[in-house]
Amino acid sequence: MPNLLQAATSQVGRKILTGLTGIFLVLFIIFHLGGNLAIFGEADAMNRYSLMLHDFGPLLWLARIGLLVVFVIHAWIGISIWFRKRKARPQKYEVYSSKGGPSKQSLSSRSMAFTGVVLLVFVVFHINTFALGDMDTVLIDGREAADVKSLVIDTFQSPVYAFSYAFVMLLLGTHLGHGVWSAFTSLGLTGKKASAMMYTIGGIMAIVLAIGFLFIPLYIYFGGGCEAALIQCA
Amino acid sequence: MSTMTINLKVWRQKNQNAQGSFQDYTLSDVSEHMSFLEMLDVLNEQLIKEDKDPVEFDYDCREGICGSCNMVINGRAHGPKRLTAACQLHMRNYSDGDTIVIEPPRAAAFPVIKDLVVDRSAFDRIIEAGGYVSVKTGAAPEANLIPVEQHTSNVAFDYATCIGCGACVAACPNSSASLFTGAKLAHLNSLPQGQPERKLRTLAMVEQMEKEGFGDCSNYAECEAVCPVGISIAAIAEMRKDYVKASFS
Amino acid sequence: MKLDPKTPSGPLEEKWNRHLKDIKLVSPNNKRKHKVIVVGTGLAGASAAASLAELGYNVQTFCIQDSARRAHSIAAQGGINAAKNYQNDGDSVWRLFYDTIKGGDYRSRESNVYRLAENSNHIIDQAVAQGVPFGREYGGLLDNRSFGGAQVSRTFYSRGQTGQQLLLGAYQAMMKMVHAGKIESFTRHEMLDLVVVNGKARGIITRDLVSGTINKYEADAVVLCTGGYGNVFYLSTNAKNSNVTAAWRCHKRGAAFANPCYVQIHPTCIPVSGDYQSKLTLMSESLRNDGRVWVPRDKDDKRHPNEIPEEERYYYLEERYPSFGNLVPRDVASRNAKMVTDEGLGVGETGLAVYLDFRDAINRDGEDTIRARYGNLFDMYTNITDENPYKQPMRIFPAVHYTMGGLWVDYNLMSNIPGLFVAGEANFSDHGANRLGASALMQGLSDGYFIIPYTVGNYIAEEELPKVSVDDEAFAAAAKDSQDQLDRLLSVKGNKTVIEFHRELGKIMWDKVGISRSKEGLESAIEEIRALREDFWQNVRVPGEASYYNKYLEFAARVADFFELAELMAIDALDRDESCGCHLRDEYQTEEGEALRNDEEYSYVSAWEFLGVNGKLETKLHKEDLNFEFVELKQRSYK
Repeated sequence: MPNLLQAATSQVGRKILTGLTGIFLVLFIIFHLGGNLAIFGEADAMNRYSLMLHDFGPLLWLARIGLLVVFVIHAWIGISIWFRKRKARPQKYEVYSSKGGPSKQSLSSRSMAFTGVVLLVFVVFHINTFALGDMDTVLIDGREAADVKSLVIDTFQSPVYAFSYAFVMLLLGTHLGHGVWSAFTSLGLTGKKASAMMYTIGGIMAIVLAIGFLFIPLYIYFGGGCEAALIQCA
Repeated sequence: MSTMTINLKVWRQKNQNAQGSFQDYTLSDVSEHMSFLEMLDVLNEQLIKEDKDPVEFDYDCREGICGSCNMVINGRAHGPKRLTAACQLHMRNYSDGDTIVIEPPRAAAFPVIKDLVVDRSAFDRIIEAGGYVSVKTGAAPEANLIPVEQHTSNVAFDYATCIGCGACVAACPNSSASLFTGAKLAHLNSLPQGQPERKLRTLAMVEQMEKEGFGDCSNYAECEAVCPVGISIAAIAEMRKDYVKASFS
Repeated sequence: MKLDPKTPSGPLEEKWNRHLKDIKLVSPNNKRKHKVIVVGTGLAGASAAASLAELGYNVQTFCIQDSARRAHSIAAQGGINAAKNYQNDGDSVWRLFYDTIKGGDYRSRESNVYRLAENSNHIIDQAVAQGVPFGREYGGLLDNRSFGGAQVSRTFYSRGQTGQQLLLGAYQAMMKMVHAGKIESFTRHEMLDLVVVNGKARGIITRDLVSGTINKYEADAVVLCTGGYGNVFYLSTNAKNSNVTAAWRCHKRGAAFANPCYVQIHPTCIPVSGDYQSKLTLMSESLRNDGRVWVPRDKDDKRHPNEIPEEERYYYLEERYPSFGNLVPRDVASRNAKMVTDEGLGVGETGLAVYLDFRDAINRDGEDTIRARYGNLFDMYTNITDENPYKQPMRIFPAVHYTMGGLWVDYNLMSNIPGLFVAGEANFSDHGANRLGASALMQGLSDGYFIIPYTVGNYIAEEELPKVSVDDEAFAAAAKDSQDQLDRLLSVKGNKTVIEFHRELGKIMWDKVGISRSKEGLESAIEEIRALREDFWQNVRVPGEASYYNKYLEFAARVADFFELAELMAIDALDRDESCGCHLRDEYQTEEGEALRNDEEYSYVSAWEFLGVNGKLETKLHKEDLNFEFVELKQRSYK
């Protein structure tokens, strides 16, 4: 058996890892969106959900670390591809354009590095804001729990937060527009026929996820937080 | 027969180490029936008469099969037409007064030799690393001993039609050679004759591809769009699958 | 000059096997002490290099292209013949042999042709084992088609890219041996001279086309696989860089050039559209299976072809050859196309074309059926001409396609210079005066895989080959000759470009040494060639310098050789006072206008010895008599 580490760090190996980590991250995002949507549930649904996660204790930490590792690998390879492409073409074209047809060059695919880096920075701010932010406590079933929901609602009353979040979620959609299909292709899972179908599915997923995520901050902002029709505050 | 005036902006570079630059030329009386390379022939005849250095570019068969020509025309490898090598592109695709920018394929792995001529020996070295079936002359069994499903044979053929022109590298935003490498792997790895060396071949060719300094594949599929014989990026997906299998066994 | 064909004795079927038993072997330990140079990496060169390297010889390969894979064998479309008899239609080695020798109009050696037919089956085995994707039947076994009027289906094919797939197989086999360290491959290197030491070929002089340096390489044997010389006509179906230089320089060093006038002209090519035309594109002759060839009966009829009524169309092949019709052999179809255009009946802007009409086939079988059969050819035609052959007839015209002549070789494929072997289209050996469809690939690979490896070994085992060094005088002298010639070309600084000269030469050749020849025409061609050659050396303008990549300098040196070869072709055609195969002399035709052979006087191979060029080409004819012990000579008839 050849050296697995060597295989994983080779050109093809790196791409496969990007695909694997990408699919993992997409699954996480879907899961995350599910949690977010709890904001439209009963008054304490979101905080209850948060408490449930915390009840996993060490397992939650394991998941967090795992997620971080996956995220770092994904970002690291992505950034390294960007640097290597500069090395592989030191002299740029005077004129460059796509030939269309089966080409998957698009705003989405050409901006992977940019959207990826923005998402990387965003995640740091995002964790700082919502995971490490100051939160009041509420009582759920007699137990003390962090009041995530209030923090979210308060935060998105600010136009800066609401709009910048919404904007980044547009970028997330853009990243996934190419990313979902690309991940499957990187794993060698798209033959000639499956490819076109996968590309459409990937695009739909990207749109659904982006809308799902950006709807919440905008809705809170325009709806006036707890005033909004779909949000029940305690 | 209608003729036209064409403005050209051509990359000129004396040798690998020289600094290159664009030169402007104007050609009148270009016939719509000329091939793109014949138009350049006419330019060169004009330059020779003016005591100037003609533009060097690679060509041989001029019927789209040898893979020698590989220039980038207005930012597209082999020009605007799909499934067409530059030698099979005709001037009727252009109009009077058009300006055409001609550049060599640009990649660190394809250093410029002169003007539009580049060194593509990296491709030879990728094949050398494992792009073959090791069967000595005389050691072959009777040809019909191993039936090959017609579909399999057709799929192998589709990948085997690669002409090795390097348009895939030229057009790839990352200068990746994944389509070239993937096509040869998919050709040989799909046939029964290619099975014994399948794993070694996959590992060796992938390793060589990286050594040559080609970039990573980001699944842009631009390579498939410019490929004059239309090889599908499914070849790259096949290569990755084979690579995983080879790495875990 | 001694021309001994060294044909082994015995019955035809046993000659090659008997010869193999007698061949001397080189022990494995000694093979690695010997070096063989292979020039050209097409089917013959790549397969010979790979096979020799597998045996243990140290091989150096040279090609002018940027990769061995781009040799012009790659452009062969149709297929490759083999006597497998998979179709159970009565094919056999004998039948393939017989068809080939008859197709060559009895101007080739029985022994060589029989061996070619024998080897054909091994080639298919070898190619399939290499992963060449031949067409297959639903059951997974190899498919065959009938080709070039053969009565059996013996042609193996990879869609319309058989040459490409076979070449890639041979190239990959060669690259495997590069990987093994047994082949050193030099690309973008052009052979400019052969180095002969003590009467034996011991090395070559090359120009590195990138740096412009002249280099010297020594070896125990040199195998020349540099293809044909069709580009002497300027316009041909050959690749732009195909040339005669390596073979011609060997000729000038003493190798006999055989049958230079045998040139095959392919009937179904896309016609010339203007002066800028740089090459001609062939379309598979399978088109004639369904297309009908015609011209207007009235030469002043300038109507659109679709408006010309049936009775005013002259289906000249069908009328003249009722039993074969549009499927007459290549030479007959080409000659008739020239005849009708000479009469002023040609069509299109230039008048140098005839129609190939699919209207009736489309009405009969439907457009979809025709599309399935010829779709890619129709697309290619549309791309080049901007006309739709589904809606109006194609325009076609003959074009120079293959040269049967080449350096003279014996049964071992060795020229009359010991140690210089010649394989593939570069030699003269197997196709006589006309080559049958799907047999060029067969010959290249038969020579390279299955003959050269044995016969080169035999030569090395038999001969004393004392060490030579590239520092020896012979190498220095040859290198200087090469450099001097390039310098001379650059120093002329005249006012006509190489391409202009080449185009003019091509026109003389096409008009007078082309499809049909006459004594008068040939004599005037010789004068015109000489005058134009003089003018070339006085007036050619070659740009740039020799010290860097300079394609027009390469062309200039090649055209200089074409000028000398052209004269030899005309001389050879003039000498051959008969018609045979592709060589048609107007004076020698049957009453029906068919080629009339003269077996009594001309049943020989013309092998020319180079004596010098001094205003005119000094050359001497040597004749190798062709003896037919096993087949009876017959006059062809396609009526």
